[in-house]
Order: sequence, then C-alpha cells, then structure tokens
Amino acid sequence: MRISIKALGLLGTAAAALSACNQTGSMNGKVDADIKETAYSERVYWGDTHLHTSNSIDAFGFGVKLGPEDALRFARGEEVTATWGLKAKLERPLDFLVIADHSGGLGATQALYDAPRFLIQDPTLLRWYDMMHESPEGRVKATGELIDMAGANKLPAALRNPERTKKNTTKIWTNHSSIVERYNEPGKFSAFIGFEYTLMPRGDNLHRVVMFRDGKDKTDKVLPYDPGQGDTPVSQLWDYMDAYEKSTGGKVLAIPHNSNVSNGRMFELSGPDGAAMSADYARRRAAREPLVEATQIKGDSEAHPFLSPNDEFADFGKAGWDIGNLTMQRPSTPDMHAGNYVREALKRGLAIEARTGVNPYKLGMIGSTDSHTALATGDENNFFGKHSGNEPNANRASQPQNLGTREGRFGWNYLAGGYAAVWAKANTRSAIFDAMMRKETYATTGPRMTVRFFGGWDFSADTLKGDWVKACYASGVPMGGDMKDAKGAPKFIVSATKDPIGANLDRVQIVKGWVDGAGKLHEKIFNVVWSSPESRTLAGDKLTPVGDTVDIATASYKNSIGAPQLSTVWTDPEFNARQKAFYYARVLEIPTPRWVLFDVLRYKAKLLPGTRLKDQERAYTSPIWYTPKG
Amino acid sequence: MIARLTSLLREPLVHFLLAGAVVFALFGGAASDPADRSITVDEPQIRVLAEQWEATWQREPTPTEVDGLIRDHIKDEIYYREALRLGLDEGDIIMRRRMRSKMEFLVAAQSEGEAPTEQVLQAWLDAHKAKYATNPAISFDQIFVGEGNAARILASVKAGANSSTLGSALSVPKALEQVRGEEIDRQFGEGFAKSLAQQPIGKWTGPVTSGFGAHIVRARKVTSGSLPPLAGIRQAVENDWREANRKAREDKAYQALLDGYTIRIAKP
Repeated sequence: MRISIKALGLLGTAAAALSACNQTGSMNGKVDADIKETAYSERVYWGDTHLHTSNSIDAFGFGVKLGPEDALRFARGEEVTATWGLKAKLERPLDFLVIADHSGGLGATQALYDAPRFLIQDPTLLRWYDMMHESPEGRVKATGELIDMAGANKLPAALRNPERTKKNTTKIWTNHSSIVERYNEPGKFSAFIGFEYTLMPRGDNLHRVVMFRDGKDKTDKVLPYDPGQGDTPVSQLWDYMDAYEKSTGGKVLAIPHNSNVSNGRMFELSGPDGAAMSADYARRRAAREPLVEATQIKGDSEAHPFLSPNDEFADFGKAGWDIGNLTMQRPSTPDMHAGNYVREALKRGLAIEARTGVNPYKLGMIGSTDSHTALATGDENNFFGKHSGNEPNANRASQPQNLGTREGRFGWNYLAGGYAAVWAKANTRSAIFDAMMRKETYATTGPRMTVRFFGGWDFSADTLKGDWVKACYASGVPMGGDMKDAKGAPKFIVSATKDPIGANLDRVQIVKGWVDGAGKLHEKIFNVVWSSPESRTLAGDKLTPVGDTVDIATASYKNSIGAPQLSTVWTDPEFNARQKAFYYARVLEIPTPRWVLFDVLRYKAKLLPGTRLKDQERAYTSPIWYTPKG
Repeated sequence: MIARLTSLLREPLVHFLLAGAVVFALFGGAASDPADRSITVDEPQIRVLAEQWEATWQREPTPTEVDGLIRDHIKDEIYYREALRLGLDEGDIIMRRRMRSKMEFLVAAQSEGEAPTEQVLQAWLDAHKAKYATNPAISFDQIFVGEGNAARILASVKAGANSSTLGSALSVPKALEQVRGEEIDRQFGEGFAKSLAQQPIGKWTGPVTSGFGAHIVRARKVTSGSLPPLAGIRQAVENDWREANRKAREDKAYQALLDGYTIRIAKP
C-alpha cells in the first residue's frame, strides 16, 4: 500500500509540472467565430493532413528528433534544424497542418528509448533498445523489425499492455493538443488535432487519418483510437467517431490513404461480412470518410495502367508500390488493383449505389505528405525523405527502402509528397473542415496550382468572362457537388493557373466514369484544353505531347513550353441522362525533374538503371456527380 | 548572502546538478562508488525493486521473487562497480550516447516549465522588431502581358486605353487594395511585392515579372508596415521565446560544462 501511495505522490508532482503548459487558447487569442467567412470560397488554402513527428512509433524509431512543436513551426514558415543537423525552412509556409501521429503505441519507441535499461524485461524490447542506442542504422533496423512484427500481429506483450499504454497515451495526447493550440491562429494558420488509425491486417494497408474540427477542450475527452493488431472491422473506428461527436458535440472525419498498398481491400464491393455491401454500411462509410488521400510519398493511388490501359499518364507513382502490400508480406496480383485505386473506387461507388441506393465511395480528393520527418515538404527540390532514415544523402535514392525487413522497393520509388488544396470561406479549423466535408478540395503532387472546377446546366462560353467565379457559384456547383435534373448535357468550367513559382501547364483533362444500364462500369478521359493549341492536335483520344525541357545535368526545366493558365467551358458530348456518372479534372504540368536528380546534383548520388528521372506533376479535383431521377 | 544564493540557484549548471541529483535519487538510489566494497540494500530500495516488478507484471512479487530481485540487484551493483574499476565504461558508445541524452533531457525538461513575464516578452519583442513587424501593404493595378507586347500595352494604357481590355487573361486579381506583401507574393510569386513597392506611385510602368510572366503595373498606394503591440501577438512571441529559451538553456548548460575543460585540437 505504501508503495502505491508513494508512486501516486510522484505522479502528482509530474502532473503539476505539466499543467503549466497544459493550456487552451490560440496564438492570436481569437476563436474561429471571430473570423468573418466570405459568402463563397474565394481562396484556396494549402496544407498537409498527414504528418508524423517523434510521437509516432516508427518515425522516432527511424531517428526523427523533431516533435510536434518543430513540425508546426516549420509548416508556419519558421526555420528549424532537421534531425541530422541541416537547417530547413519552407520556401512558402502552409495554411494548415494536421499532425497525424500513429495512435498505436503513441510515443512508445520514444518511451522505450528513454527508459532506464534495467527496467526493460522483454528480450525483444531489450534487443531493440540496444540496437537503437548503438547507431542510427540500428535504430532504423529495429524500427523495420517493429513494423514487420506489428503487421504480423506479433508485437511484444509489453508494447500492448493496455493500462500502461493508456496512461502514457493520455500524457502524450494532452501535451500534444496544448502545443497545437499554441500554434493555431484563426484567420492565419489552422493547426488541427488528429491522429492516424493504423489498421494493417497481414500488412494490407487500411490506414486512415482522423482529424478533428475542434480544440483541446473537446479532443482531450477522448484518446486517439488504436485498432490494435489483427483484423478488426473499420466500423469500430466509425463507432469511435460517433461516440466522440455524441459525447462532446464536436465533429471528426477520417481520410483513407495508401489504398495502393491495401491489396484490394480499401475499396471493396462487399461489406465486412463478405456479402454484398449493405445500404447501411455504405451510408456510414460515406458519412465518415468524405475524402481520400489520392497521392503521397508512398506512391499515387489515382489510377493504374492495368485498370486504365488507355490512360497514358496512369503510371505516375506506381513503380515499386504495385508489387505488394505495405509490408510486402503478400504480393499484389492484378485482381486486387480494382480495390486499390481511387478512380475505380469512384466507379464501384456508382455500381453499389445502383444496387443499394447509397454510394459509399463518394470521395473528394486531397494529397498529403505522410512524411515521418516532422517536415511537411512536398516539392521535388526539398524532399526531406519518407523518414529520418532517408533524409537527404547520396545513397537514399538507390537503397532498398522497404518499410519492413524485406526487399522489394527502392528509394527512388518514393514521390516527393503531395499537398491538400481546400477552397474554404476562411482560414479557420471550422471553415477548412466544413469545406472538406463538402469535398471542395483537390489533390496535388506538390505544386501549388490553382484549380477551379464547376458543373452546371446553363454555362456558356461567356460565363468565363467578368466575375465568373461568383456566377458559377450562383448557377452551378463547385468540385465535390452534385448535379440532378438534367437540362440537356452537363457543362463544366475548369480553370487552372500554374503554381506562381512552378512549371507551366501541359493540359487539363476531364475524367468521366459511369455505369450503364446493364450495370457495367466505364471510364473515359477527355483532353479539354491544352497549351499551344495551334501546334498540338488530337488524333482520336490522344493529344500531341507537350514536349520536354528538362536538363538532366542541372536538374532544371524551362517554361518555354506549356501555358501559365488553361481554362475552358466543356460540354459532355456523350451524355446519357439515364446513367449515373462522375466527372473530375486532372491538370498536368510540363515535365520537370524528380527529386532524385537534385540528389545527383547536390550529393553526387549514383542512380540505379531504370530510375525515373522526370515526371509530369499534376492535380486531381474532387469529382462532380450526376445522378438521374428515380 | 541570500542574494548570492539566489543568483547561484539561477545558474544553469546548478540546476543541472540539482535536477541530476533528483533523477538520480529516483532511479539510482545511493551512488555507486567503485572504491567502496560494502553494499547495503535498504528498505526504500527494496520497495523500488518491488515497484518495478509490479509495473512489469501487474502483480506484487512473492517473497521468493523479492529475494531474487535483491540478489540480482546486488549482482548488478557488484558488476557495475567492478566494470567501472576496470574502466569498461570508457569507449562504450552505447554508454556514452545514453549519458549524453540523459544530460540533455534534464535541461530541456527544465525549460518547459518556465513561464516568461510580460517584461521578458516585451524585451524579446523589442529585440526582434523586424520579425514581428507587418509587411508594407500595397494597392495596385496590373495587366498581364502574356503573349502580347509589353511596350505596346504600356503605351496604350498611358494613352488612356481601358486597362481591363488590354493584355491576356489570367486568374489573378486585376486590382488589389492594401494587400500585404506576403499575400501578394502568394498569388503572384516570390518577389513581386518587392518589385511593386519600388515602382513610382500613380503611374503605369513595367514590365514587372511575376511567376506567370510580364505585367504592366500601376502602384497606387504603399503603406509601410508597423509593429503590433505585445498584447496582439503575445502567444506568437511566447512561442518564439520558448523555443529560443530552450536552445539557450541547452547551449548555456553545455558552455558551463565546457568552460571547466581545457580543449586542445590537433591541426589537420
């Protein structure tokens, strides 16, 4: 008895010391309600919804020394010192950030690393402890083993002890939310509280980022939800979200990511019991998961050449990622692709809706980084690595970079990361969250191009003149919206402006998907506007390529091709008013050098044969859906 | 005397050692002295051992298990002292890293709990005015040249042509009122605001280059930036002060230790 009293006494002291910084309140003393919202979304806000810091079990294991505070300072444009001593500063600050550390074992590796060695009893943990302290390489290796064991449901019992974990998690979670509050600045920078739900049965990636609309006063009432290991149903996450909203009056959404390494399980046609998906299940999923992270460092999930053989741009960010699931425990086979990619999910959603009346995959698009360096870098010339084990150095592009301990993927397979673009009525947590719920968002693979996309029945070529954005909101719907009651063929207005410090644009495409009367799924890509139309022509569905100005030796390109802005009004020439359909815009830049070429230039990196050196970066808007009557 | 004691207590090195002693007392109990060949295991130490057992196994140890813990503790202690006597801690990279990270942790943990006074924050603000001062705000009109001829457009607009009919279409505002430099750069690309601010007021000039290409511009009004009062930016200032304070603490603590050493480095 006396022992436990003494322990309590010590805890009390620690709690008192912590409460000093356990505060609510924002950086400028304002709350969201103090910021006036515009009548419609006048500007696009840039952010990363998926960033890991030293509180993530794997990020710390891979060596990151930077925590949430560094992450927030960096995203806001402050200079920080990265893990291995490089000074890092974003060329352009972000407008919002969701730090999404893994809920599973939140802070566990840091706790293991900081623990007195003699307290560690478990032989596996002890071995990892020694590996981690021995060298940075040892730390990476120990973390690889850890992820592998988590995927195989074999983590040491000491890491799964619920009571101890709970105490530790509560401390980390509430300290974290205090830091987020200190950097949240309504009107200027929105710092969101969130976490990552890391479900991966047998290594099939079913991860979601969970983000809250609310502040610490509400989020401290719950703990980040950890599905544990094994194969628990995702509906348990939705139960958690329901319970949070009911008990706090707050709001929360979930964003699936890396469907590309889910081995067909992210977007299934069936429900959790293996039978055809029910309307109830579809409704719950659609309500809880309005968005999908379509592109990030671990590859691009928009489309795949196997599913879209006529799409000449579908191979972007596929190399290395389409060969197996996240941990490479199971190889991927072509029959799995349909459940792995977003365009197919959008189509499947129509099919399920045709059968049940509810579309579970009515997904808006965003991109993000999934960086584990605490640095939300998204550009080719500032790629700071997937994790601190591959921060900039001469070797990373050509080293095996599999997450677990098996071979299969190489450094160059990583993309530099993406960003989320949100058309919101103000830069506040509530305005950005609400815009996400109505899917007024788009994904980019890093560049900050401005993309507008509207659907309507009454647009004409003249609509693009004058104050056209206001007119489009008045007579049409923005990206993420719905069209009903057909009046002739639907018309779409798309306007894409290049990143002011980036590459020119090659073309804008509209991707259409539909389900026919027999229930068969279709897709078609329309090139709707492109640069140098006087010299580039359509032959069938194919457009003359834009050209290529990339200079490999200097990792540079010239804006002597492409256009700074592309816009048009497009009418679907094949519209059938009886068929459910979706339309989204894809904007392609001219070819630019990939991050690997900057490594060659800066560190004299040696590249493997077959390394992809350049790409056409891009944006994907949320779709607009057409639903026939009845 | 009291004043001297107080100032002594403000010394980071003293904090370092005091905190070290506290942590040491929590985890280590009495110091292990390699020269001492007697070992006493007292009741509080046995309680700590039992507590650690309980934390791992979620139950109290049996008397036999406590006995085993004590024996193991003695074995630990004897080997530890013998190892120190043999100098085995020297050159052990794990040991060295661990010790350093413990020392660094002590300093960082201390600076977390510090709360700055208004005076401290005001002094910080005064010393970093440039960081907190707002950028100049600019009102201007612009015509995007695009594929057109800059000189011809400039001549036309100077001759009184309607600026909205000139140049090429681009989805950026044709006119902006009192917008801060960072916001202008966000829309037009890095450096555009600075170029604008250098143009003569009220006259059409150019071309000025943005991220999109050439523009003909007319700067109408430039309002210089100002320094907001502390009350308006208190948390921002405190965040920065905290960050700097933590770094300064770390540097100072290390410097205090470093000062006690004579360092000689061979020339390469």
